[in-house]
Amino acid sequence: MATDHTKNNHNEDYEIDTLTNDRLIKDHEYDGIRELDNDLPPWWKWLFYLCIAFAIVYMIRLWVFHSDDLIQNREYELAMASAAAAQPEKNNAAFEVRILTDPASLAAGKETWTKICSVCHLMDGGGLVGPNMTDNYWIHGNTVQDLYNTVTNGVIEKGMIPYKDQLSEQARLDVISYILVDLQGTTPAIPKAPQGTEY
Amino acid sequence: MELQKFTYDNKLSNMFLWATVIWGIVGMLVGLTAAFELIFPHMSGNIPWLVYSRLRPLHTNAAIFAFVGNGIFTAVYYSTPRLLKTPMYSKLLGNIHFWGWQLIIVSAALTLPFGFTQSKEYAELIWPIDVMVVLIWVVFGLNLIMTLVNRRVKHIYVTIWFYIATWVTIAVLYITNNLALPTSFTHSYPIYAGIQDALVQWWYGHNAVAFFLTTPVLGMMYYFIPKAANRPIYSYKLSIIHFWALIFLYIWAGPHHLLYSALPDWAQALGVVFSVMLIAPSWGGMINGLLTLRGAWDKVREDPVLKMFVVAVTAYGMATFEGPMLSLKTVNALSHFSDWTIAHVHIGTLGWNSMMNFGVIYWLVPRLFKTKLWSTKLANVHFWIATLGMLFFSIPLYFAGFTQALMWKQFTAEGFLAYPNFLETVTQILPMYYLRAFGGSLYIIGALMFVYNVVKTAKSGSFVRFETDEAPAKETPKAKEGWHRRLEGRPLQFTVAALVVILIGGLIEIVPMYLVKTNIPTITAVMPYTPLELEGRDIYIREGCYLCHSQMIRPFRSETERYGEYTKAGETVYDHPFLFGSKRTGPDLAREGVKTLPNYKPDLWHYNHMLNPQKVSPESIMPSYPWLAENEIDYSHVPGRINAMIKLGVPYVEGYADQAVADMNAQAGQIAAGLQANGVQVDKNKEIIALIAYLQRLGTDVYKNK
Repeated sequence: MATDHTKNNHNEDYEIDTLTNDRLIKDHEYDGIRELDNDLPPWWKWLFYLCIAFAIVYMIRLWVFHSDDLIQNREYELAMASAAAAQPEKNNAAFEVRILTDPASLAAGKETWTKICSVCHLMDGGGLVGPNMTDNYWIHGNTVQDLYNTVTNGVIEKGMIPYKDQLSEQARLDVISYILVDLQGTTPAIPKAPQGTEY
Repeated sequence: MELQKFTYDNKLSNMFLWATVIWGIVGMLVGLTAAFELIFPHMSGNIPWLVYSRLRPLHTNAAIFAFVGNGIFTAVYYSTPRLLKTPMYSKLLGNIHFWGWQLIIVSAALTLPFGFTQSKEYAELIWPIDVMVVLIWVVFGLNLIMTLVNRRVKHIYVTIWFYIATWVTIAVLYITNNLALPTSFTHSYPIYAGIQDALVQWWYGHNAVAFFLTTPVLGMMYYFIPKAANRPIYSYKLSIIHFWALIFLYIWAGPHHLLYSALPDWAQALGVVFSVMLIAPSWGGMINGLLTLRGAWDKVREDPVLKMFVVAVTAYGMATFEGPMLSLKTVNALSHFSDWTIAHVHIGTLGWNSMMNFGVIYWLVPRLFKTKLWSTKLANVHFWIATLGMLFFSIPLYFAGFTQALMWKQFTAEGFLAYPNFLETVTQILPMYYLRAFGGSLYIIGALMFVYNVVKTAKSGSFVRFETDEAPAKETPKAKEGWHRRLEGRPLQFTVAALVVILIGGLIEIVPMYLVKTNIPTITAVMPYTPLELEGRDIYIREGCYLCHSQMIRPFRSETERYGEYTKAGETVYDHPFLFGSKRTGPDLAREGVKTLPNYKPDLWHYNHMLNPQKVSPESIMPSYPWLAENEIDYSHVPGRINAMIKLGVPYVEGYADQAVADMNAQAGQIAAGLQANGVQVDKNKEIIALIAYLQRLGTDVYKNK
């Protein structure tokens, strides 16, 4: 840097700051504030060089080598492909759909109900946006297989979304069992009026 | 050499100082209220202007422009005349600046909570206030430049460099980002749309941090630290290098707010690398500040002013290291949209900006009132309580950020999202929100001690309005000077040089987004919003929904499984303004209307949820918006807004404005009929109908043929 303090090499041209023994720059005084003639700390310079090198390498990787991790569409496709390869088949045709009554399944079903189903059917099953699940009226059938189909594929035109990509087969069956075993016949706080056919 | 006598007028600096004190408390209290509202969603008592999503912009604007802003001006009006050995050029301009700035702040407080907003973060102020800001900024600049012209000191000191860079850059940023087409006195649409709007906004947003919360505050640091410590600046050479590197590099870093968004890869990459390169110039400022204290560390132990400065500069160093780390894509994939960002920002504001303001005011009040600080002990207590408050604020939010982001990304062994219900990830981190509110409370208690202390100090002395000083007339140096020293002697050229340096990055990033078609591939299925949806969108903006709900699905498996296909640039082309959001306190809504996706909810659900979210999700922390079912849709402004959209290039057919209201009525009628069939007593002219129409449209265009 060709600034004027380079001429401070001559002894008579600078003063010494007594507390640090560093050189003060002559004629640099602003409202009593002086400036020292210290060089840039070497570690700081190297930090800067390193960051610049990082930047250059980064841009070369993008523009010259088109690295996968810097092109987000490709990064996404790779991540999806590797996830698909690692996962077991989600919907197994051999899965047996039958009511479960063991406490563990019912407890798991209740958990799914609380986290997901209650958003539309309310916690006590009384129904709000979705129908009441405690009464004996059903819109899409009342067998365990009917319910399983409804949960799996949804009823899109009515706002019931398909859960085949969000809940495992077991989780779907658990929550259906919870509905049929535990919720049916209970009395919710504010039951929604019956919808569908009485069974 | 003959000495000339002249007089400094402390009046303006003193006025700005007390404005800083008052607005500081106001801004922090609004922030604390918002923090408590996140824990107690019904705290606002269904009063629209107290709801979280309307207060949050008031908090950020008050903290930035009122508290830090007035603090900067306090310092500028005190240090500039002393560094240049001349009074400020014009008392009239100074007074206009002061009262104009306070009027802007009051206008902000009277508009933002009432839903008058442009929705772009830290650029929420509606266009008439923007015009006011620009005029006042010109007044400030004129006063600054004319003072430079009148100076008696040939060379300008580094503090002034930073003030100059602040002034030119904020002018460029503020005007460019706020270019909008007004549709009424209180409403406008930005001229940019979608991803282009987002790029301009974050170029602004990031550099508001750089040139409003950083450069002027570095200017303060360079004046008040050597003054308070009575020590020389560590390295003049470092000042030069870090100043130019900082302002040149900073301007490029905006795209790091849009990593993994629909922004093209090349622009994201520039955001990453320039952020990383910023570490060194930022730390250059930190070490020049801290090493100036060499030989004065014994004073630091006793003097609360220096303690404040040390914590401020250290927090600056931490935040400017963390920022570049957050700009790395792998880190950002986790941190973005989470509370990590909030924690990071508050290290900057509570640590760097506020501590700097506190330190400067503790130093200045005894000088302005010719007395001693009323209680050094109380100031020390304030120092410790503020430091603790900052830690209690940030550490829980870091923890909350990691926890929630990891939960969002967690899959089960079977390949399903482990936490499909977003709310689960919210209730998990709620205890951290309690701790944050505790930390914020501590910080404000400290700030109240500060107010008490400075008021007592002022009362114990008497205001010294005029101070005389003397200096020789400006002389042109005879010896040959280096190029930078020459530039320091030519403030106007210096200003132009700074302008050129800050324009480069912005131009290189923003211009290609307009000129190069491939940056935003067209999607033919994407159509303009219907007038009802557009009205709903404007309501969404008014209520501040975007402050908690993003509309930007990133290309990660964990997001496409939860929210649907990732967002494409071509989907945003009619979005004036863009509404990507920057925080997910609630789930992303980019594809809220797609019936086959996990997030889909029927109209009836939205109706119930908006009126009382806890009715459908007892643990939800979303506030109620019952007034949406009471307010009537304002049809009168619809044709004007459609015409404005047409002017901005949205392809409604010519003359569509005449038909818009009829179309709105028809669409609203359908939605209302659907709700009525489910037993809801709702009129089709209510605002909630428009909002539901908008939500059900979101993200559906590209799914139409699936």
